[in-house]
Amino acid sequence: MPDVDLLVVGAGPAGAVAAAQAKRAAPELDVVLLERDRAVGAPVRCAEGVGDAGLREFANPDGAPWVARKISRVIFIAPDDSEVRVAERDVGWILDRTRFDAHLAAEAVAAGAELLVGTEASGMTRTPDGRWHVAVRGLRGASTYRAKVVIGADGVEAMVGRWAGLDTRVPARDMESCAQYVVQGIDFDPDAIYLQFGDAVAPGGYAWIFPKGVGIANVGLGLVALKSDGRNARQYLDAWMDRRYPNGARTGYTVGGVIVHTTVQQTYADGLLVAGDAAHMINPLSGGGIVNAMKAGRLAGCTVAAAIRAGDTSARRLAAYHHAWMELLGQDHVKYYRIKRALESVDDAFFNALARTVNAIPAERRTLGRIFAHALVQHPQLIPVAARFFI
Amino acid sequence: MVDLAVCDRCGLCLPLCPPAAIHLALSDLLVDRQTCTGCRKCVAPCPVGALAMVDA
Ligand SMILES: Cc1cc2nc3c(=O)[nH]c(=O)nc-3n(C[C@H](O)[C@H](O)[C@H](O)COP(=O)(O)OP(=O)(O)OC[C@H]3O[C@@H](n4cnc5c(N)ncnc54)[C@H](O)[C@@H]3O)c2cc1C
Ligand code: SF4
Ligand code: SF4
Repeated sequence: MPDVDLLVVGAGPAGAVAAAQAKRAAPELDVVLLERDRAVGAPVRCAEGVGDAGLREFANPDGAPWVARKISRVIFIAPDDSEVRVAERDVGWILDRTRFDAHLAAEAVAAGAELLVGTEASGMTRTPDGRWHVAVRGLRGASTYRAKVVIGADGVEAMVGRWAGLDTRVPARDMESCAQYVVQGIDFDPDAIYLQFGDAVAPGGYAWIFPKGVGIANVGLGLVALKSDGRNARQYLDAWMDRRYPNGARTGYTVGGVIVHTTVQQTYADGLLVAGDAAHMINPLSGGGIVNAMKAGRLAGCTVAAAIRAGDTSARRLAAYHHAWMELLGQDHVKYYRIKRALESVDDAFFNALARTVNAIPAERRTLGRIFAHALVQHPQLIPVAARFFI
Repeated sequence: MVDLAVCDRCGLCLPLCPPAAIHLALSDLLVDRQTCTGCRKCVAPCPVGALAMVDA
């Protein structure tokens, strides 16, 4: 039975950063990072957009091989198809997550963590010796790992937390069902991301075009199934594509879920933390979770390293992680979630009218701030849907 | 019932299932018919419509 200090389940941004951070903070620890998929970073279930500042806390994008495109503009498309261009500088980046996630995992390995791909955790139990016994199976067969601490970084599935008794369930109204194509040979501004709202396009969510290069983009949408007219996300996306880009070559396809909720009530238990999507740490307004996952992973790795060194991995000690996260971003997400709920009452006519008002502002003065100032005057509950997009 | 030909194994349905009846494993997705209560919470949100109820 392999005996480790820290077992991290899931090698997405949360897990990879957590493993690297724990190892850097306490090099003597045995840290193992499990990834069910046979390659870290594939398949990509993501539109791959990140804000500049958040990304730079973890990696330098200038000239990096894991960057697909730099973004300097945001274009909103109202439900009636009128466009609002917003000029901003250094808005963010579109990543190549196959390479980016692999880059983060390689950093964990460089720090001394052991990475096992094609290997999954399938259940775990707490034993009287104060360890987790985790059932693991994969390329090297099946075995039971004994771990002082487990970090659940298993993404939307959030099963590790459930195995440990945490409530990581998601109400249907807080789940965005997403579908996305990689599309080639289409015409759009390759320096801009496009966002379209509207009940006919993506009820309860929005559709997006995120450029990966000139003529190539992630084109997708997320919706709340409870608000749909009976069609699933893929059918809404097909309708949108047929209307906007009937001749684009759909060279890739993915689906996924985004939890637009607040952080789970409790992210810790004896010998256990959950981080990233697995702890619902996504910005509930934008659906962005990459940078959040890395920030949570960093906190989790630091907390666990110190706890193991101190010989105390009890829930009481690990609770420090929860409090630090809530202070860093968790409380903000509670506010954004309230705004999200308020926005649910805003209809298509409002967005159409807003687009007209904003287009009356000269283009060079049309910043996100001014747009939202206008929106706020007309609709006080409408606060930055997308100004917060890249957090 | 899961239509495995359509399911993309995205994992979205797992946290929606109150009794944790859905299991995603290395090579497949399983719904445990003993545990499933038939609440249908997983059905509409599946992005590709891979989940359907069957009368047992
Ligand atoms: C369609 C779509 C578009 C998105 N667009 C954006 C965007 O533009 N910008 C943004 O910031 N965010 C976006 N997100 C959200 C973003 O993808 C997530 O927030 C981010 O990936 C979270 O990182 P994570 O490390 O928590 O989880 P993940 O990246 O999901 O990593 C979890 C990993 O755990 C593995 N795993 C799960 N269970 C097990 C197990 N039992 N054993 C071993 N391994 C396991 C999985 O295979 C996976 O690799 C999008 C999401 C979707 C679905
Ligand atoms: S939501 Fe649909 S596609 Fe995703 S894992 Fe469940 S059944 Fe498969
Ligand atoms: S019908 Fe309900 S209990 Fe059955 S698998 Fe779906 S969500 Fe779970």
